[in-house]
Formats: sequence, structure tokens, C-alpha cells
Amino acid sequence: MAELEDDLSGEVTIATEVDAAGDPIVVVSGEIDMSNASALSAAVAPIAATRPSRLTFDLTGLRFIDSAGIAVMLTAAATTTVSLRNPSAIVRSVIEATGLSTILHMASES
Amino acid sequence: MDLGSDAKSASVPTIASRSGRFIGRKHADASRLMGAIPRGRAPRLAAVVLVSVLVVALALAWTARSLYEHNEDRLLDSRVRELGLVLAGAVPAIQTPLASGAALADATNGDPQKFRTLMAPYVGLGRPFTSVSLWPLGTGRLAPRVVLGSPPVLASRPSEARAFFAKAERSRVLSVAGILEAKTRILGYELNSSGDGSGFAVYAESALPNDRRSTRASMAAFSDLNYAIYLGRTRRPEELLATNIQGFPIHGRQASSAVPFGNTALLLVVTPNRSLSGSVFDRLPWIIVGVGLLLALGAAAMTDRLARRRHQAEQLAGTLNRIAAENRELYTEQRSIAQSLQHALLPEALPALPGLDVSARYVPAASGVEVGGDWYDVVVADDRHVVLVIGDVSGHGLDAAVTMASVRHAALAYAAQDARPASVLTNLAAFVNRSPHDYFATVLCALIDIDAYRVTVATAGHPPPLVIDGDQSWFVELAPGPAIGAPHHIAYQETTVSAPSRATLVAFTDGLIERREETLGVGLARLRDTAITQPGSLEGLMETLVRELATDGRDDTAILGVRWQS
Repeated sequence: MAELEDDLSGEVTIATEVDAAGDPIVVVSGEIDMSNASALSAAVAPIAATRPSRLTFDLTGLRFIDSAGIAVMLTAAATTTVSLRNPSAIVRSVIEATGLSTILHMASES
Repeated sequence: MDLGSDAKSASVPTIASRSGRFIGRKHADASRLMGAIPRGRAPRLAAVVLVSVLVVALALAWTARSLYEHNEDRLLDSRVRELGLVLAGAVPAIQTPLASGAALADATNGDPQKFRTLMAPYVGLGRPFTSVSLWPLGTGRLAPRVVLGSPPVLASRPSEARAFFAKAERSRVLSVAGILEAKTRILGYELNSSGDGSGFAVYAESALPNDRRSTRASMAAFSDLNYAIYLGRTRRPEELLATNIQGFPIHGRQASSAVPFGNTALLLVVTPNRSLSGSVFDRLPWIIVGVGLLLALGAAAMTDRLARRRHQAEQLAGTLNRIAAENRELYTEQRSIAQSLQHALLPEALPALPGLDVSARYVPAASGVEVGGDWYDVVVADDRHVVLVIGDVSGHGLDAAVTMASVRHAALAYAAQDARPASVLTNLAAFVNRSPHDYFATVLCALIDIDAYRVTVATAGHPPPLVIDGDQSWFVELAPGPAIGAPHHIAYQETTVSAPSRATLVAFTDGLIERREETLGVGLARLRDTAITQPGSLEGLMETLVRELATDGRDDTAILGVRWQS
């Protein structure tokens, strides 16, 4: 049980930046799941409330995301244009499987 | 394991919030306990230690005191003997001049001049005698012939003198006349050399201190003793010759020694005026008692402290065990509640359909205390048509379950209204987007025409169903559609495929295929490979899928399978 507990507690790091155009960027690293999605939600909600024209999630360091994490980004997408920068293949497969790639625009930079 | 379940219950939101009050109460228990004073055992133990050490200390002190007393007695005995020897050594200072005088008188027939010359140095102030006189014996008339110093007191008391000399002239040893009370107290003694009542007797008197107090400074060697010297062998007050003791009778430790003095004796009584063996030995018992008392108090305090600590530790351990046990109980209860609720939210029984076997499985997440967001339904549209719905609401817990129930029943309603899958999903998306929400749901809807072996499927972000035909299996290729709850409504599209005879269709939620470390494609391939290795009944296939694939435990899993019977 203890080992499982260790496994279940995904580590996540969340930072916010502003890009050259003045639009916010949320940098998410580690793993996002239902155990810590509320932390992402708490970070995103005040940014979304400012109604930016564009909100970018930098997922370069994100290894895993579950439906709870996607729900946070999807909620933001209700009020602004959301794009995901550098999603990993795993993250990309989840977004695509849920049919959300038309809403959560994924872009990879070389 | 206890810690594991504790940690789990703390990290899982539902449990944490539900058990918050419970945990708080326990913490209060624990803190009250830490400050509690356990009464009874600890003080009793401390008292036992206190008394034990005290008893030992007192026994030691008593032993030390006994040894001290015994030692003091022995020392005093030894001292009184020494002093007796000193006193005995002083007796010749009286006896010798008198013996010399008597011998001289006998030899010179009582020559007064020679007697005077011999005795003069012994008479006077600061000398042994106040008066020395020479008495002829056997003359019939008892009177001194020669007198040096003061007139003899005895001579003024003829009857006493006669009585004394009657005995004394018959003795050759020093005869003591006893204490004569005159203006001063006088001690008289006689010595003659014949012992047969003839010749001459020398009689001398010494002045005793008036108040019987010796004014002489004590000899340095005996400064630790007080003494009393009696004439004779008894302590009659009137026979007290000299003393430096203030109060009579003598109390406390004392020793006596009789020193021969002519025809009588001198009784020497001594008492120590301080400890003979030294003040340290005198105080030793009290030192032992004092140190023992301190030790006893210290030991008792230490015992008390240790006992209390142990008691607290035991209590705390007991409380922690109880908390752990109650948490386990609570966890089990929660898990049971969660599963009961989950099953309440899922169909009680699947419809029996001619020509089509239907089977479903629901596997809760391994953490088990959460209600999941997965669901499935089998809706009979008409005799030959059945609608399968399977979905997964994002998140877990009661909110997800309530959302799931709402979406599920909406889907049921829309399916009953219009069984076409794209229509069901489009209506469902419109329903969810009607109000603000912070979740989404992936939903797969399939309409099965049993007789036509035809399946029409639409997906809202949900993994496609697997078709199994003997040793082949493939996923139905679907037009992608966003999950229900995504903004910017898009109309869903249907895909219709034909099913082979005896084909199996398996719809599932992502718990069956999702692993953190791999893309969904890998999980889908694993499912496909696992499914084709399972000939046999539909139930057997479902059991295998649960056993082989629904093992990740992070997410709950729903599986819905149908198989054409022919």
C-alpha cells in the first residue's frame, strides 16, 4: 500500500510566465493527475479570469496527464484560446484520443 | 501497513475531508494525553523507591551511629584508664613525703628540727599540704609534737582524732581521715612506719577547693574530658574532691576508674566534652541520613519521571494503535460505501437479448475509497436494436459520481428519444454545455442491429471499441469527436461497420489501456493482443481482460462486451 501511495503521488511543478506578446504561459512539469490537478486549477483560474486573448501551456517537462488535468485546460478553453507547447507523445496521445486536439491546439517547437 | 493506510486516507481528498473531524478529535486526544498526569502506578512506585532508599540510608546511619557509640565508649574507657594512671602517679606525691617524715622521726626519735627541715618544702601555699604534723604514738595522750603550717583541723577535734588514730596507728599504709569540714574543706591523711601503735605518725592536711571546683587548668592531653574525683569508691556528693563538671548528676556517656589511695581509693569519673573520635565521625550518621534523603528524593523523582514517561509512551502507542485501527476501519467502510454507491449508479442487470450475449465488468481503482466516474448502459431500443453507452467523467470522488449520474441519465434519455449515436452525443454535449462546468466526459455510443450484424458508432473523445473475430481483432476506426463538455460545439459523426458472425464487440474505459509511462497506442495494442488469445465464452473473455489488464489500479475501469450467438 505504501509503495502504491508513493506511485500515486505525482510530482508537479507549475510556473507562470508572460510571452513576448504579453500573453500568459503556464509551465507545467512532472505529472498531472487527479491528486494534484487542483493545484493546476488554482494556478490557471486567476489567469483565465483576466480573459487573455491566448493562454499557452508549456508542457515540455510534462510526462503524464490524466482526465482531471485535461479538464483544467478544457475549462480554460471555454474562455480563451488554449495552446499546448511541446506535449510529449504520451500527452499528445491522450489529447488526441479524447478528441480535444481541435480545442487544445498542440504545437511542437524544434 | 498501518502507516500506509493512514497516509492514503490523508492524501485522498474525500477521506481527508470526511474524516477531518475524526482526525482532529484524535489529535486532541493525543495532546491531552501528552499533558496528562498518570495517577496511581507511577507515584506508588516512586514512593516505594523513596521509602526503600530512605530505609537503607537510615540503616546505614544507624550502623554508623552504633559503630560511633561503640568507638566512643571504647575510647572513653581507654581515656579514663589513662587518666587514672596519671592520678595514681600523683598519689606518691602525697605518700612519699609522709613516709619519709615518719621514717625520719622514728630514726631520730621525733627530732623536731630535723622533721621541720625535711617537711618544710611540702607545706604552704601552692604546695601539697597546708599542714603537716608529727604525732607520737602509744603515749596515752594524743597530740601533735611538731606542727608545720596551719594547725591541724583534726587536732581541734579530739574525739575524731582518737577514732582516726586508733585505726590508723595499726596500719602501715596511708590512712585517709576523710574530708573535714572547717573554714575550708580539708583532706587529712596519716602514715606511720611501725603499724603497731608505737613510734611516730606523720599527719598532713590538704585544702580542697572550696566549691569543689578545680581551678587548675585541665591538662592539655585531657582537654576533651570532664572529670569528677570522689574519695572512696562511690559517688557520694559529700565525698566529691574535685571536678570541672558544671551540672550534677553526670548525664550521658561516662566512664569511671578507681585508683587505690592508701586505705581507700579515688573514684575517677569522666565524661567527654566533645567527640573523642572526631567531629566527622560524630556527624557521619547525620551526613548519611542527609545524603540518603537526597538520594531517596532524587531516585524517587527519577523513578516517577521514568514511570510517567513510560506510561505516556504506552498510552500514546495505544492511542496511535487505536487511531490506526479506526482509520483502517474507516477506510474499509469508505471503500465499501464507495463501491456500494458505484454499483448503485450502474445498471443492476443487463437486458437479456435473443441472439446477443451481453456482459459487463466494473473494476474500482485500487485505492478503492473513491467513487469513480466510469459508467456503462445497455439500452434496448426495440426487438432487434440495442444501444451501448460507455463513458468516463473526468476526476473522481463524489462530484465526479454525481456528474456521471447526471450525464448517464441524460444519455439514457437521449438514447430513448433518438437512438442514433451521433444524435445521442450531440444532444448530450448540448446538455452539458448548457451550464458552466469544470469537467468533461468521454462517451462512446454504439447502436447494434442484431439481425443485420451491423454496428453504428460515434465517439466523444472515447477509445474505440474492439471487434474480435476468432484469432483476429481490430479497433473500429472512428471519426474523432471531442469529449462531452468541450467548448465550441461540434456535431458528432457516425461510423457504421459490419460485424462477422459470432463476432465480439468490446467497449471499455481508459483504465483498461492507460499506463503512465506509455502512449495510448501501446495500451490499445496490448488489449487487442490479449483479446484474441481468448477463445471460449464471453464471460471468460471479460474475466481475462479484468485479470490481465485492469491491474494498474490508478483508475477505475468499465468493460462492456456483446457477442453474437450465431
